[in-house]
Amino acid sequence: MDANIKLKNELVDDTQTGLKTLQGNSTADMEQEIGATIGQQFVDKPKMQARNVDVFYGEKQAIFDVNMDFGEHEVVALIGPSGCGKTTFLRCLNRMNDTIPICKVTGDISLDGEDIHSKAMDPVLLRARVGMVFQKPNPFPKSVYDNVAYGARLHGLASNKAELDEIVTTSLQRAGLFDEVKDRLQEPGTGLSGGQQQRLCIARTIAVSPEVILMDEPASALDPIATAIIEELIDELRQNYTIAIVTHSMQQAARVSQRTAYFHLGKLVEIGETNQIFTNPQHELTENYITGRFG
Amino acid sequence: MDNELNLTHHISHRFNEELEEVRSNVMAMGGLVEKQVADGIKALLTSDTEIAEAVASSDFEVNAMEVAIDEQCTQILARRQPAASDLRLLVTIIKTITDLERIGDEAEKLGHIAVKLSDKNASSSQFVELRHLGEHVKTMLHESLDAFARMDVNDALRTIESDKLVNEEFESIMRQLITRMMEDPREIKNTLRVSWCARALERIGDHAKNVCENVVYLVKGKDIRHTSLDKMREELI
Amino acid sequence: MNNTELIKKGLAKRYRREKRFRAYGLMAVMVGFIFLAILLADIIGKAIPAFTQHWIKLEVSFDPDTLGIDEKSDEATIRDANFNAAVKKSIRSLFPEVKKRKDKRKLAAMLSTSAEYQIRDQFLADPEILGQTKTVWVLADDDVDTYYKTADKSKAVRLSDKQIAWADKLLADGLVKKRLNTTLFKNGDSREPEQAGIRGAIKGSFYTLLVTFLLSFPLGVATAVYLEEFAPKNRWVDLIEVNINNLAAVPSIVFGLLGLAVFINYFGLPRSAPLVGGLVLTLMTLPTIIIASRSAIKAVPPSIKEAALGIGASKTQMVFQHVLPLAMPGIFTGTIIGLAQALGETAPLLMIGMVAFIVDIPQGFTDSATVLPVQIYLWADSPERAFVARTSAAILALLVFLVVMNTLAVWLRKKFERRW
Repeated sequence: MDANIKLKNELVDDTQTGLKTLQGNSTADMEQEIGATIGQQFVDKPKMQARNVDVFYGEKQAIFDVNMDFGEHEVVALIGPSGCGKTTFLRCLNRMNDTIPICKVTGDISLDGEDIHSKAMDPVLLRARVGMVFQKPNPFPKSVYDNVAYGARLHGLASNKAELDEIVTTSLQRAGLFDEVKDRLQEPGTGLSGGQQQRLCIARTIAVSPEVILMDEPASALDPIATAIIEELIDELRQNYTIAIVTHSMQQAARVSQRTAYFHLGKLVEIGETNQIFTNPQHELTENYITGRFG
Repeated sequence: MDNELNLTHHISHRFNEELEEVRSNVMAMGGLVEKQVADGIKALLTSDTEIAEAVASSDFEVNAMEVAIDEQCTQILARRQPAASDLRLLVTIIKTITDLERIGDEAEKLGHIAVKLSDKNASSSQFVELRHLGEHVKTMLHESLDAFARMDVNDALRTIESDKLVNEEFESIMRQLITRMMEDPREIKNTLRVSWCARALERIGDHAKNVCENVVYLVKGKDIRHTSLDKMREELI
Repeated sequence: MNNTELIKKGLAKRYRREKRFRAYGLMAVMVGFIFLAILLADIIGKAIPAFTQHWIKLEVSFDPDTLGIDEKSDEATIRDANFNAAVKKSIRSLFPEVKKRKDKRKLAAMLSTSAEYQIRDQFLADPEILGQTKTVWVLADDDVDTYYKTADKSKAVRLSDKQIAWADKLLADGLVKKRLNTTLFKNGDSREPEQAGIRGAIKGSFYTLLVTFLLSFPLGVATAVYLEEFAPKNRWVDLIEVNINNLAAVPSIVFGLLGLAVFINYFGLPRSAPLVGGLVLTLMTLPTIIIASRSAIKAVPPSIKEAALGIGASKTQMVFQHVLPLAMPGIFTGTIIGLAQALGETAPLLMIGMVAFIVDIPQGFTDSATVLPVQIYLWADSPERAFVARTSAAILALLVFLVVMNTLAVWLRKKFERRW
């Protein structure tokens, strides 16, 4: 397998250097520093694959040629300094960037081998399969029940009230929230505490039975206890879902993920087993970032 | 990443200072241990009771340093949650000071034996065999501490290699001592003492080797313990 | 001197400045309140006389000869009958000493011209009273009414000395009674102040605003939603945005000219109709509603939109299930502000003929009508003294209308906001 990965990496490297010469001088300086992606970009059983992904905001390029896989039942953490493009890249995975008019995504992203940008892939269906949890807990201004039931109603997943109840209950249970809210399902979701709201959002996301869950700094607004609960939840959810999580907390990435990807200035600098990234990163930039040094 | 490890340049100045402090404490401890080993050997070879007693009783200093450095490391781990090279540095330090403390213990042993032997008025000629081994071990210890100070993988590997020489030396001393014991059974008691000294010196060499292996882990992030030298070279160079 | 002392030194000055600023603010509010109070007191004070009217008691004999009808006369004949003569006869009977023709006319002028119609209506209701004499209360003329209401009698210059004497006598004989002025709320406009009412104007305003609301609300909200959520960002949309913002600043009379040219001259819609008034006011209100709705939509947290999209809602579902419900209170506020502005608008309606003198109460969107502010403008322009009070009364009515609308807005806001 190692040999395989190496071969693949070399291939990718070739295309990268090819592109780089095209990109001109201004980026060439940076290239010397960052270079090609280091580490294990690809896995045996990929759920989602990103190949040669570039993202542009108008004239400005935000993501440069990212190649990586998200394996089944794997938590991949995306880390990097602010503005490094990790959130932008995450939002490419369920085409949330479509909602930004000036944002243009090129390259191939596939889910189970299907191109998510193809005509056959409807963005609404894609977002049902690739759910998203956002940085700020954002429950709808509706009751707890309606929040969780929203997606199921939207996609017509339940044919009667009993089925809907079932979906709501199991989703809340999976999100570890059911016991806390079972007596106030009809009360507003916005009345819950921050951590509960975020778990409500996770319940809302898994109520649609997605295959992949994208999390954009899901615990950044929460206190340590709520954060720990969310992290525990992520670990449990891994049994059923593929999870990609963007986080600013390196300890969190170290705690919850199996693989970690480090982004810098829109490039995927290094990706690898979380254990390895946090004890022995190969790239100097990764090292500087996770040890809190200035480069 | 090249061999040069960058331990400064943290955004937190205080962190830089803490790491620097604990590292210099380790160096100080290393220096102390080195001096003890040298003194122990000197006491043996010159039958100097004074030095021997000093060595035999000064181990508490090394022990106290070990405890202090351990404490520092624990605090840094708890408060800074170091990762990558910082983490490896702390792990390396924690392991290294254990080795250094053991070296200190061995030096103490040398001191004790030297005290006992000088009581018996044994001739220093009995320890001539140890001179060579002692020189080897001293050099090795010095080089290993150097490698740690400079965080130089090549130096460390060279020092690891030289452990082989120390072992060979030890083997030959043991053969000599056995021969002597067979020749003159009255000398068995003293000869056994000499063999203990040889054993202690050999152990010091092993600990110095451990320090070097720790240095390699610190710099390269690879654990090379229990691997053959050839494989080490293959992997690292 | 160290920092603490330096800060301490400046502290008193800073607090003084703060206090002064608060005092200025309070003063500004007080001045505003005082002006409002003066205005309201003035209007209410002036309007009070308009809410009462004086009636004069007459003994009217329904004499067939005077009326020129008999029992067999049909309704049309009765309507044409000379009730006026009967009225004159009965008032003259109260003052038998009046002989001169000129004085007789003056005496008759003390009664409202509507007196004969009151008698006619009474007779029509019960034709059996032919030949009998009945006690009838008829409206006093506005000048007499004003004379009775004026405390300082010397100022009632519109009456001659003789008329004043007659009026005093009527009052002394107990033939005059003050009643609540229901005419004001029942009648349309009239040249005679005692017969003039604001019902026509209120209904006109109501119809006009209804048209304005029905057109501008859906149009405005739809435009706002499109521009905020769906429109691509390009030069054309920018141009539209700039134009909408400019429209809000266009003088309202220009909209009136536009309405005249387009709706009346080109499309041939009826003049003076609430329909056209509503259309013109729609043009005027639209920018306000669009701008307010857009800012309300913009204020919906993007996190909610992303949550909806992230779970797989389509853009339309997102807009209708999340954005609009959350923006509704803001949209309502904007709409009510726009409508309140439209309610007080006069200039554009002048251009489309809603300033005409219209007595009839409008029954639909295409009937000729006028609106409250125009009515106020017309009355304020009238020379009769009694119209001064009625103008104030109409202004009060307009204010009440506004208060009701704003209350409605607050209530709607509360109702929709309760959905968290």
